[in-house]
Amino acid sequence: MTKKIISFIAVAVLLIITVIYAATTGSIQMSFIEFITNFFNPDNADMAAIKDLRFPRIIVALFAGAALSVAGVLLQAIMRNPLADAGFIGISAGAAFTKLFIVSFVPTLFFFTPIAAFIGGALACFFVFLLSWKSGLNPLKLILVGIAINAMFSGLTEAMISFGASASGSITSNLSFKTWDDVSLIVTYGSIGLILAIILYASCNVLVLSDKTAKSVGFNVTAARIVIAAVAVLLAAASVVVAGVISFVGILVPHIARRLVGYDHKVLIPFTALLGAFIILLADTLGRTMFSPMEVPASTIMAIIGGPFLIFLLRKE
Amino acid sequence: MEIKQVVVSHDGKARHLNEVSTVIPKGKVTTIIGPNGCGKSTLLSVMSRNKVPLEGKATLENRDLVEYKPKEFAKKFAIVYQQNDIPADLTVEKLVMYGRMPHNSLFKKKTNEDEEAVTWALQCTNLLGKRHNDLSALSGGERQRVWIAMALAQQSEILCLDEPTTYLDIYYQLELLELVKQLNEQYGLTIVMVLHDINQAIRYSDHVILMKAGKIIAEGLPRDVITKEVIKEVYGVNSVFHEDEKLGLYMMPLSI
Repeated sequence: MTKKIISFIAVAVLLIITVIYAATTGSIQMSFIEFITNFFNPDNADMAAIKDLRFPRIIVALFAGAALSVAGVLLQAIMRNPLADAGFIGISAGAAFTKLFIVSFVPTLFFFTPIAAFIGGALACFFVFLLSWKSGLNPLKLILVGIAINAMFSGLTEAMISFGASASGSITSNLSFKTWDDVSLIVTYGSIGLILAIILYASCNVLVLSDKTAKSVGFNVTAARIVIAAVAVLLAAASVVVAGVISFVGILVPHIARRLVGYDHKVLIPFTALLGAFIILLADTLGRTMFSPMEVPASTIMAIIGGPFLIFLLRKE
Repeated sequence: MEIKQVVVSHDGKARHLNEVSTVIPKGKVTTIIGPNGCGKSTLLSVMSRNKVPLEGKATLENRDLVEYKPKEFAKKFAIVYQQNDIPADLTVEKLVMYGRMPHNSLFKKKTNEDEEAVTWALQCTNLLGKRHNDLSALSGGERQRVWIAMALAQQSEILCLDEPTTYLDIYYQLELLELVKQLNEQYGLTIVMVLHDINQAIRYSDHVILMKAGKIIAEGLPRDVITKEVIKEVYGVNSVFHEDEKLGLYMMPLSI
């Protein structure tokens, strides 16, 4: 019990420190004291610039991290596969493809891009399930099918870009130049997804039993899978629309979270959200400040850390 | 439970169950035996609603199984499968608590009734002392009993066991069969199980169903059903039967 509480407090403290560091570091510098004292001062130009430029970026990073990590936990629960990740198995790529399609060909429907992204992600998720179902969701088969689906949607997206579709933030993630519109989008859809995920914790817990056994105690496995998958896709789509595709976070964060707080989804889901928010903000802030004025996208940092981490995971299994 | 003229096919062509009819006697221990691929497991999956018959139907209390809601059915019928993955980071008590799902909503607080049922299930399976242990810390025999405890927590009328002794050594096999016998005698549970060991089937069942190639060949009292001639016909094995006061009836396979 104490380990869980300590983990929550530690990550929360680190998160707050990172938020303050991210807000005060960059081309406009500010000390912590200045930041606190001027926070509600409307006449401070620096503070106004920070609020306008950095706050949206910070909030988007936090929500994208939380959403993608929780999407990972949900997918891992329904697929019983610790390697399931929205970025890995093509859900993010599907969402990115339909998003770009709307933006490029029917820009008048811009308002509906989150819905389009959701449909793209759901389609990818459906294919992954359909094609790996016969193998009884065999973990290896599922990942291979996911890689194929991912390649297909990524390829389609790249093809559209070759034909002149606007590429900004579609394939690679980009957290710079975020506006308050982006914030309201990801906060709205992200919050809905996160709340639904927390509500669904008990169903996620039952899914650790085999399908047959879960069914034998009167649990509707198929219905639970569909609902949880829909929430996972919603979370992934919301972050893809605003922050682009960020892989690995959905594997890395839940794995560390399980080590710290255990497998009970009641605790795991909220903790994963917190940890994911922290890790993406940290990755983005380091990428932004370490090699300034050069910027390394958060997704690149995640890939650099995530690759070796995945090898470590595979070696251990 | 009643099975009426049930036909099941896994591929839409071959009949894996061919017009099978039987009645599972209430309050008795029924054992299904037969060679590999004879349809034993398929028959169990019809009873547990994992397979819907192509033709015919299975009924419980004169209602077609397909009419039952999942939880309603789980209150009447519990099943323990042969092989179960052990979930990580789960205590014995928490796993057995899943057996209370048919009586409960996922979101409701556990009631005293749930606690009592879980304690009873753990007591029956001699696991009270291991209540707070992690599943990964249990022996093979204990794990099998945990799954039985979970099924018992459902407090159903019928308990079904799919090859419960297959992966256990003879000590745990006997322990498990004694447990089954005790559950039947003390609590009146209707037991349906699949066994491979013919002597165990003879010793522990009231009623035997013998299957071959998707059909029921014979059923009834063990000593009536299991004979030298039938063993030759169904398994293609020559055997000797012997009976004495100490051992009861037993069979020794000789040659093929």
